[in-house]
Amino acid sequence: MNNNGNISRSVLICQGTSCSSQKSKKIREAFECGILEAGITDTKVDFTGCQGFCALGPVVIIEPEGILYTRVTVEYVPEIIRSHLQEGRPVSALFYTDPESGEAVPYYKNIGKYKKQHRLIMRNCGHINPEKIADYEAVGGYKSLKKIISHMSPQQVVDEIRCSGLRGRGGGGFPIAQKWDLCRATTADSKYVICNADEGDPGAFMDRNILEGDPHSLLEGLIIAGYAAGASKGFIYLRSDYKLAVKRIKLAIEAAKKQGYLGENIFGSGFSFDVSIRTGVGAYVCGEETALIATIEGKRGTPHPRPPYPAERGLWGQPTVINNVKTLANIPLVISQGADSYAKIGTVNNSGTAVLALSGKIVNGGIIEVPMGTTLREIIFDIGGGIPNGRRFKAVQIGGPSEACLPAGLLNTPVDFDSLAKVGASLGSGGIVVMDEDTCIVDIARYFLSFTQLESCGKCTPCRLGTKRMLDILERICNGKGKMSDLDLLLKLAKTVKEGSLCGLGQSAPNTVLTTLRYFKKEYEEHILRHHCRAAVCRGMVKAPCIHTCPAEIDVPRYIRSIQKGQPGEALAIVREKIPFPAVCGLVCFHPCESRCRRAQLDEAVSIRELKRYAVEYGNDIWKSRTKKALPSGKRVAVIGSGPAGLTAAYYLARSGHSVTVYESQPLAGGMLRMAIPDYRLPKDILDADIDEIISAGVTIKTNTEIYNVESLFEQGFNAVFVAIGAQNDLKIGISGEDDHRFIDRLAFLKEVNSGKKFSPGDRVGVIGGGHAAVDVARTSRRLGAGEVTIIYRRSREDMPAGLEEIEKALAEGINILEMTMPVQAVNGEDGVTLECIRMQKGDIDSSGRYRSVPMEGSEFSIELDSVIASVGQRLHIPDRFGLDTADDGFIGVDNFTLATDKPGVYAGGDAVLGPSSVIEAISQGRQAAKSIDIYLGGSGIIDETLAIPEDIDFLEDPSELPRQVSPVLPASERIKSFSQVELGYDREIAEEEARRCLRCDLE
Amino acid sequence: MDILSGFSRDKSNLVDILQAFQDKLGYLPEDIIIEVADYLRMSPSAVYSVATFYPRFKFTPSGKKTVCACRGTACHVRGGGRVLREIENKLGIKPGETTSDMEYTLETVSCMGACALAPAVMVDNEIHGQMTPAKVSEVIGE
Repeated sequence: MNNNGNISRSVLICQGTSCSSQKSKKIREAFECGILEAGITDTKVDFTGCQGFCALGPVVIIEPEGILYTRVTVEYVPEIIRSHLQEGRPVSALFYTDPESGEAVPYYKNIGKYKKQHRLIMRNCGHINPEKIADYEAVGGYKSLKKIISHMSPQQVVDEIRCSGLRGRGGGGFPIAQKWDLCRATTADSKYVICNADEGDPGAFMDRNILEGDPHSLLEGLIIAGYAAGASKGFIYLRSDYKLAVKRIKLAIEAAKKQGYLGENIFGSGFSFDVSIRTGVGAYVCGEETALIATIEGKRGTPHPRPPYPAERGLWGQPTVINNVKTLANIPLVISQGADSYAKIGTVNNSGTAVLALSGKIVNGGIIEVPMGTTLREIIFDIGGGIPNGRRFKAVQIGGPSEACLPAGLLNTPVDFDSLAKVGASLGSGGIVVMDEDTCIVDIARYFLSFTQLESCGKCTPCRLGTKRMLDILERICNGKGKMSDLDLLLKLAKTVKEGSLCGLGQSAPNTVLTTLRYFKKEYEEHILRHHCRAAVCRGMVKAPCIHTCPAEIDVPRYIRSIQKGQPGEALAIVREKIPFPAVCGLVCFHPCESRCRRAQLDEAVSIRELKRYAVEYGNDIWKSRTKKALPSGKRVAVIGSGPAGLTAAYYLARSGHSVTVYESQPLAGGMLRMAIPDYRLPKDILDADIDEIISAGVTIKTNTEIYNVESLFEQGFNAVFVAIGAQNDLKIGISGEDDHRFIDRLAFLKEVNSGKKFSPGDRVGVIGGGHAAVDVARTSRRLGAGEVTIIYRRSREDMPAGLEEIEKALAEGINILEMTMPVQAVNGEDGVTLECIRMQKGDIDSSGRYRSVPMEGSEFSIELDSVIASVGQRLHIPDRFGLDTADDGFIGVDNFTLATDKPGVYAGGDAVLGPSSVIEAISQGRQAAKSIDIYLGGSGIIDETLAIPEDIDFLEDPSELPRQVSPVLPASERIKSFSQVELGYDREIAEEEARRCLRCDLE
Repeated sequence: MDILSGFSRDKSNLVDILQAFQDKLGYLPEDIIIEVADYLRMSPSAVYSVATFYPRFKFTPSGKKTVCACRGTACHVRGGGRVLREIENKLGIKPGETTSDMEYTLETVSCMGACALAPAVMVDNEIHGQMTPAKVSEVIGE
């Protein structure tokens, strides 16, 4: 370290726990050597505590410029020395990049995350050397202590704290002055103050930060507390495994003693104060005041009833004030800036700042400090940078494992004691853990309960046994063995545990279960009633995330292994065990399986859909020899609609022995598969091949036959009816001017084109919408000769339901995308239509976890078009005489599990029930309908069959480390000349290579 | 032992005395328990009653290296469970156990305060952040 005369610059390296674990000490050493060798004498090198930018470490700050370098490595040090220190050119490669704008931000004061904070307690962390008392004194340290000792009586100090409104930061939020008052008012020979630094809450690491980064601030606060409360002895109780913190506190105490801030007769005031350290031994419950006292007394750490409160009778029966680290770190600030000034920060009755530890699924994890009253939304999204990898927010846990999990709808809740209490939550330790759609809420409740159950000291029977019973129930639910009555039992047990427990651990242990039941009940129900874990986490129910997420539960890992072994015929057989449309799905499925593929955590998801296609193209008919058809049942089933839902149901019902007739109003079977999906995605001969197999199973399809009346089918002798008529009518955009002839009906347009008729939608085509349908229309228009095709979508590109693959293909074909744009009205003229639009911006987060798209004032603009095609949704068109009720959403109402309507023998599924959905979901409903109808007709309802040979898993190479194989496609320039198939499919070598990337989650 | 002479015979020193022995020996052998009980004029069962309450006290020798996997919230949410399972597979032991060659003891902790680096594993005193099952063999070095 350079100690020479004029120091005009400092290189400060963070040596907090996170950065230290990434070898920041070596970085400091490299700087020290390098600067010495370079002969630089005006720059000092020092280490600091943690700034809070933990996710960007190792962190280095250069002052006085205030430049922040992130992810520094030893290799970069010579460049920083040469380029920045010697040549005055900072190293831009190490700057922080703003995740939203993508711009580099060199100065830490300008970093969004930093700017929005109010760093009060954290002000020194990352800027001073925590092992040097002189650094602390240089920034005003110990001035508050000197002030009170010479100018204020203990009562005046208490009053000042009272005026500031300071409330306990350990979680209780109890007014500090009141606690001190109680201690002062109690007569005793000895009084004590204890700093509770036992920080045991998972997710909380800010006390650690303060202990490691600015230990003197805590010590000064403790001494002042001792003075005010009338104590002569202080303890700092911290976890023994916080080794760095223990070291720094010990050094701080010694240094403070040397400077005379501790000891007898401090600065001649007559006030004597001494501090010792006690270390906690791993029991979470010892963070509770009375349990903590028991440990210092050498006993088992079980809590005691209060009253009497420790401030009256605490350690060894004497009045004892126990304050949290953050509370004490606030004290010198209140004294130095004055109570009135301090009280202005934050909100009414909740003054000061909140120091929070952000972790979990968050881009900018670390410690932040914000004024009380800052909303969760600002904390998580503006400061924390939101959820990584474009995933969706699901829940946030605040305050510790015994505290609430809050949903997206409560993101506008201000973070302060009172506002959180109103929604059933608590600030607690200030730990904030963010969860996204890949987190299972039921698993989280189980996990938190397992923590509190483990840490229960056992003294109170309701806590000891009640939490165990609650945990047993949750484990059963996570393993797919739950019952709905379990939910009532959980509520009952929660009440008993809360009311019968002596200390905060037991009283709050049920909170997570209670809040998750309140806000996320649907997930519990899915676990219990459908054995479905939507995050694909609960291992007791989830064989592999891909299988679990596939609406048809196709055994993905098994068919991928068959491909790897060079057996595409077996792979095809495995797919056909679950669906009768393998070729179609191999081309157009939106592959929800890939969105949950665990391989994505390493590099990219396995190309499951492409491999399915490969199995279809390179497989054989071996599966046919293994199908069994049941004996004729003598029953007849009518299916209305030959889309994927209808034909799937028909297939399984025919194989179960029933006589099935499918009625189709159009000239050809296939439903939307035929009418709406263009040839370049789904060539019609491939669709025909799948349909032919369905017909071979014994299904009769009557095309050009519309059904108006369900009763008439029963009169003709059918025993059951499945209504799968789809959602045929396109929704209007809802703007004036859209009745003009230039607004083309989407489905009519696609039907015309797909039936072979070619016509031109004009040169300038506008497509409103962002799903597959919109992209299909856009790409079709290009092939019909439109030179300028623009997709107009009101949210951002990443939010387009069509998915990145489709969007990339569209862009390559010369289609423009106007994201964050909404049409407002259309003015139809002779030469075309002027579509007036407005730009949108990201607003609040709504209750589903997505941001609302709101118009940006003054950003109107127009676009000239020859035609406009709206692709914003579909609705049901159902003949009255079907006599079926529609649900609130306008689609047919059915039982969620059996798909039965309220008419006996009549079932419904597919888009007609779900609204515009996907092929695989329609197929899944077809399967469900087949099961239900079979049972209704006296059958077993079992439609699964074994079509592949048993698997031999003895041989298995390790998964390949190669990245995802690119899917070959036709060059973009060729594509728009025709409707030829764009995706070319894998050949054998690539397919087998890709199949080797599967991690075989089902075999774990 | 020298450790005892650093403390007065006050029962309230019990937890600190036990910690000192735990730090030095890595565990609390039976004869130490008895010696401490004697020193503080308590019964050995009373000493055990306190010692067994606290998770950090061990009663069997630990391995040369202690591998501690974090079970905290942030680590859980970021896949810490799979990292722990991989460690269990690699070492062939469960938390609380020691390998038969006395090389490794496996433990878990509810939160080690390194949440920004989740999932975290500590080997002796070194924290390894952003762990994945694939990184386990690097960190355990077998």
